[in-house]
Amino acid sequence: MEFGTTGMLNEDGIHVDMERLKKGEVNLGTSIMAINFKDGVILGADSRTTTGAYIANRVTDKLTQVHDTIWCCRSGSAADTQAVADIVHYQLGMYGVMNGRQPTTQTAAAMFQELCYENKDRLSAGLIIAGWDERHGGQVYSIPLGGSLHKQSYAIGGSGSTYIYGYCDANWREGMNEEEAVNFVKGSLQEAIKWDGSSGGVIRMVVLTQKGADRHLYLPDSNYAVRHQ
Amino acid sequence: MPGFDFSNHTRNAALHARGVPLPKSTSTGTTIVGCIFDGGVVIAADTRATSGPIVADKNCEKLHYIAPQIWCAGAGTAADTEFTTALISSQLELHSLSTGRKPRVVTCMTMLKQHLFRYQGHIGAYLVVAGVDPTGVGLFTVHAHGSTDKLPYVTMGSGSLAAMSVFETQWKPSLTQEEAVKLASNAIQAGIFNDLGSGSNVDVAIITKDKTTLKRGYVRPNQRSEKQKSYIFARGTTAVLNEKIIRKEEISKYVSVHDLGSEETASGEKMDIDA
Amino acid sequence: MTSIGTGYDLTNSVFSPDGRNFQVEYAVKAVENGGTSIGIRCKDGVVLAVEKVITSKLLKPGANKRIATIDRHMGAVSSGLIPDGRHFVSRAREEAASWRKVYKTPITTSDLANRMGGYLQAYTLYSSVRPFGITAIVGGWDSERELPVDGQVGSGPSIGAGGKVEGKKYGGPGLYMIEPSGLYWGYYGAATGKGRQTAKAELEKLDLAAGKLSLEDGVKEAAKIIYIAHDDNKDKEFELEMTWISGLDGPTKGRHEEVPKDILEEAERLAKKALEGDDDEEEIKEEDKPAEGDKMEE
Repeated sequence: MEFGTTGMLNEDGIHVDMERLKKGEVNLGTSIMAINFKDGVILGADSRTTTGAYIANRVTDKLTQVHDTIWCCRSGSAADTQAVADIVHYQLGMYGVMNGRQPTTQTAAAMFQELCYENKDRLSAGLIIAGWDERHGGQVYSIPLGGSLHKQSYAIGGSGSTYIYGYCDANWREGMNEEEAVNFVKGSLQEAIKWDGSSGGVIRMVVLTQKGADRHLYLPDSNYAVRHQ
Repeated sequence: MPGFDFSNHTRNAALHARGVPLPKSTSTGTTIVGCIFDGGVVIAADTRATSGPIVADKNCEKLHYIAPQIWCAGAGTAADTEFTTALISSQLELHSLSTGRKPRVVTCMTMLKQHLFRYQGHIGAYLVVAGVDPTGVGLFTVHAHGSTDKLPYVTMGSGSLAAMSVFETQWKPSLTQEEAVKLASNAIQAGIFNDLGSGSNVDVAIITKDKTTLKRGYVRPNQRSEKQKSYIFARGTTAVLNEKIIRKEEISKYVSVHDLGSEETASGEKMDIDA
Repeated sequence: MTSIGTGYDLTNSVFSPDGRNFQVEYAVKAVENGGTSIGIRCKDGVVLAVEKVITSKLLKPGANKRIATIDRHMGAVSSGLIPDGRHFVSRAREEAASWRKVYKTPITTSDLANRMGGYLQAYTLYSSVRPFGITAIVGGWDSERELPVDGQVGSGPSIGAGGKVEGKKYGGPGLYMIEPSGLYWGYYGAATGKGRQTAKAELEKLDLAAGKLSLEDGVKEAAKIIYIAHDDNKDKEFELEMTWISGLDGPTKGRHEEVPKDILEEAERLAKKALEGDDDEEEIKEEDKPAEGDKMEE
């Protein structure tokens, strides 16, 4: 194994390297978000995956399905977030079969949180869980690096999110209709992509309502104006 | 973690922090690519294996068999790509035997990513997984840490940037088989000529619904040509400065000679050397 | 039971030639000798009650509880071998706690019944163990409101989540009875133990399926039923123990608690009074008693 050249020796003679997880690893230097709106939730993400300065994938899908109407946005290490999402995908499938009823967004959030908290020293994963179910409607949960769980009316995450706190705060309104909500997500992500070097490519969205999951795709060629697919 | 011993990690890291250089693992600078076409998928690789600055093998095989219709191109640590693909190939064949179905590309990709994730990047295998199964055509990349991507064209290894530049300028949707093979081969050649870690020939594997074709040395752009002159030194080129002749009869002056009896057969076990 | 003495009744996990597991049937016999336990599922809560037969005058009245809390919103009572009942409760508490750890939300009554049914069933499979000598009644209240994930921070949109399907009801009372075989069903009213036949007959009169009986009336009915069921066994002294679980807006706020002393005493007073009235009318109908040895079903 190759050792990193970063880090420092602390007073106990232990080599401390906070950048350990980033070395050679595929990172989702990312802009992700999920919001509540009148009929449910919308998840949104850019599509850039990087290894150092190289874009390993310019059309990545960071919106991952873990159940029929429960999805998550992934940021951080691609390997870690894919592994965690795969595990929860399996567990939610089993929950449905074993208990004879579909899991709720809370169930999914609890499973994600358990994994992220219990393995906090081994993972670099920043996740946003969003889902819709009959009883609770649309819900958005955010699980940042330490593994805490936050229920929010909307959540933003990834390196690009730092640039859009002001934009989101100024433009956010509760109870938007679908068109307004889509435009809010798109406008926010456009700003994040504009200012964050680690974010870019296309804008992907998933709209979760009683009608199920609906995918959106917006390309930079048309300045994200036209919905494709 | 089986196979790895981390007991010296802290010591080594501390030494390294104080400036002691640590040994480098042998990793293969490589160019590997994959590209989907109408009715199948093609993967290609260069054939250079390196060990530090030395070209260890001028014609090695980087296209690994997984199943008849699933093949893998490997970059990274040579031993790791070799053994990881062999392990998954074995598990996939047993799985196929017990289910009575043909193995699927996603299954292979999932097994690889779970294996590599378990080893947290210590198994340095960077792979392009390609194949055709009952669900259709599949093409993925798997990184050593366990992340995967699904794309219509992919590149990996030190020459991946050069190869990607070819795809990004020449790729178009719904290629024919011939176009795809040409494109993949060009992408590998971009790696061979522009990346120090890649070189020698282009290997190609074409997988369609009906058959897999492995083309070893599909392109050989680095054949060593016939030497135009002879560089053999003529007899007597080296001057003789002095000469001394030792005769057999007086050899015992220099070494002790022990005559073997007729019944004693000669064996190489004993050897005496004078002090 | 014609096959008794043929050897198939000596060990667990062995079928008799006609497909019965005698050890389980003997466990049912142990249940049939225990003090009567009942549960009533009312429209706004659940009542659990047990006839606690006093085995010694030296036992402190009100001590030695027979109804246990499994989780904050759930209780259980059993008839049969008391230590088996205690082990049942201990396992049920573990199941409820493990559910909370995994899903960060309380276990529902039906899920607990399912887990415990599976647990008891496993004790009919092996020769090294015997089945549980109890039939347990589990009562609980599944929250009718939305519950947060345990440990979550924040509460989402101030106007509430969008896209809910209106007009559906969730949560509510739950009542299940689990037998030594592991068999369990959900009930409107459940009874087990010595006086179960009388108790069942009384429960049927309440028309619980209509969902009209209130929890306050349920408490009174439960007391009455235990007193009536005990009537066949007059010579022995008994104590009435009762717990209840109401909805979030009710007297227990969704928790499993003992019925308060004043309400319990009032219920007992009414029960005794009803019994005195009954004695005059029904003394003659002695032969109406249920036939002994009710058959195992399912």
